[in-house]
Amino acid sequence: MAEVLKVMNVTKNFGGLTAVDNVSFSINEGETLGLMGPNGAGKTTLVNMICGSYAVDSGKIEFRGKDIAKLPPHKRCKLGMSRTYQIARPFLELTTLNSVVVASYCGKDMSNRSLMDAASYASYCLEFVGLFSRRNILAHDLSLYEMRMLELARAIATRPKLLFIDEAMAGLNPAESLHAVKLIMRAKEHFDLTILWIEHVMSIIMEAAERILVLHYGQKIAEGTPEEIVNNKSVIEAYLGGGEYA
Amino acid sequence: MDLEVKRDRLVFRARGNKWEWGIEPRYWRNPLIYVSLLIIFPVVMYFVYPSLLATIIEANLLAAIAIPLALMSVGTGRMNFGPQFYIGVGGYTAALLSIHCGLSPGLTLIVAALVGLAFGFAMSPLSILSGGLYYTLLTLLFPLVFLEITFIYTDIFKGDVGLFGVAPLVSGFGFSVNQLIFTFASLAMMLIYLYIIDKVLRSRYAVEMAAINDDEEVANGIGVNVNKIKMISFAIPAMMIAIIGWFYAHYYGTFAGITFLPLTFMLKILMVIMIGGRIQVYGNVIGGYFIAFLELLLIRTAGDMSPVLFPVILLVLLLTLREGLFGLYRKRHYREYMPTLHVRR
Repeated sequence: MAEVLKVMNVTKNFGGLTAVDNVSFSINEGETLGLMGPNGAGKTTLVNMICGSYAVDSGKIEFRGKDIAKLPPHKRCKLGMSRTYQIARPFLELTTLNSVVVASYCGKDMSNRSLMDAASYASYCLEFVGLFSRRNILAHDLSLYEMRMLELARAIATRPKLLFIDEAMAGLNPAESLHAVKLIMRAKEHFDLTILWIEHVMSIIMEAAERILVLHYGQKIAEGTPEEIVNNKSVIEAYLGGGEYA
Repeated sequence: MDLEVKRDRLVFRARGNKWEWGIEPRYWRNPLIYVSLLIIFPVVMYFVYPSLLATIIEANLLAAIAIPLALMSVGTGRMNFGPQFYIGVGGYTAALLSIHCGLSPGLTLIVAALVGLAFGFAMSPLSILSGGLYYTLLTLLFPLVFLEITFIYTDIFKGDVGLFGVAPLVSGFGFSVNQLIFTFASLAMMLIYLYIIDKVLRSRYAVEMAAINDDEEVANGIGVNVNKIKMISFAIPAMMIAIIGWFYAHYYGTFAGITFLPLTFMLKILMVIMIGGRIQVYGNVIGGYFIAFLELLLIRTAGDMSPVLFPVILLVLLLTLREGLFGLYRKRHYREYMPTLHVRR
């Protein structure tokens, strides 16, 4: 399988703090890569660097063979990268439909589209996540689950090849989480996505990911299949600490 | 001939023909009605009370400044507190060229617009580099700095006396007729601005601007070229406001920075926006007329107290009418600057 994303020795410092330290990994096409780590491990910082929100201090990021380390976020999006956010960030003052129309209109291969074409695709994406009936509701009137689904619809409306999901289950109840996971997996098949999934809920990431990458204090401490990760001593130590009870 | 008033329409019959005119509230939104009123009003005033034409011109120009400012606010996601800077740029460019080079108003219009556009583009990175209070302070400072420059370089800008002898836009018809022509010219400018900005704010670009207004970082992440949109929506309205400066110079035949660049003039524009409702382009027309006539009323009734009463009224309006007068009408609607999309299953 071809490599979609290749991250090589990326480092990010915030003053004296090294948030991401010399991390390298790659994602193959059609794969779901889980990204784990305790709070403050640097997971979101790493995704922010890949998506262009943060500049890379050193290292290289290649997307489908093209160096994207210096590209602004909107150009990376047009290449086929999209994301959801850890804390839901919908366009609060826009209607659900209009929020997705922006993404549909500005995403990959969408230049010169008419507004109505963009609206048609946006309504298709809303239908996919089950929000079509809420299309004329302002985003700030949606429930947290609906906001998460709106973010997913907005992300897939840009027609990405690589989707970053940043703790999509945070704040959802078990039934909503289960529904969201099923939906994401269905989106992966339907839209032919490659996914990098940050998640704290172990049961979900163990089931959904084919490979898992673990960060701790900004450094990569483990990479492998879910079975390898749960038995990895460094991972157990990072989550539970050392000693006889670990 | 027969005129019948029905519940929802007027029916006019004559020689076997029938004409109907809807009078339901939804038909009141027809812009032709309001444009007709704006045209008829100065004509009536010309015959009844000609001195009021100057106030109508002022109202049109205030609205014409506030309308591009609405686009600037939407596109940059920030409120510019120094639009009068561009009036100064346009006005001084027109006045200097007219006096020193003898250029006609047509040529000074082109140069003033280009200079306004150049200044707009040069200053547009401000909307990218600064935000919040810093942007407000910076935009507030520019007209004041410009005013200081007009005092420092008195030999060029003639300080608080201003530049005299600017070629008039219209002349040779007598004062009242000239005023009427100026009224219609200002009205035409305002309506053209209203039409252009309304078209932009209902186009697909408005969706991108709305996203920038809500969350710049997220908008950038989903493919919106935030910097490009910000720069364009800063520079084009700057040019449009500079053209108003050109109009002021050729209307008065003189241009002095002390009239337009201080905070008092900015306060008037701000009040137009507050009365009309922030980012309500149609509301700005109501705001322009309200402020121009309120100012006239205050000068006639309150005299020296009017500069004090003006900010007090602004403060009261800020507290009571957060969405302005037009906002009262539009409170049941979502943002005006979005294209209307009707998608059905």
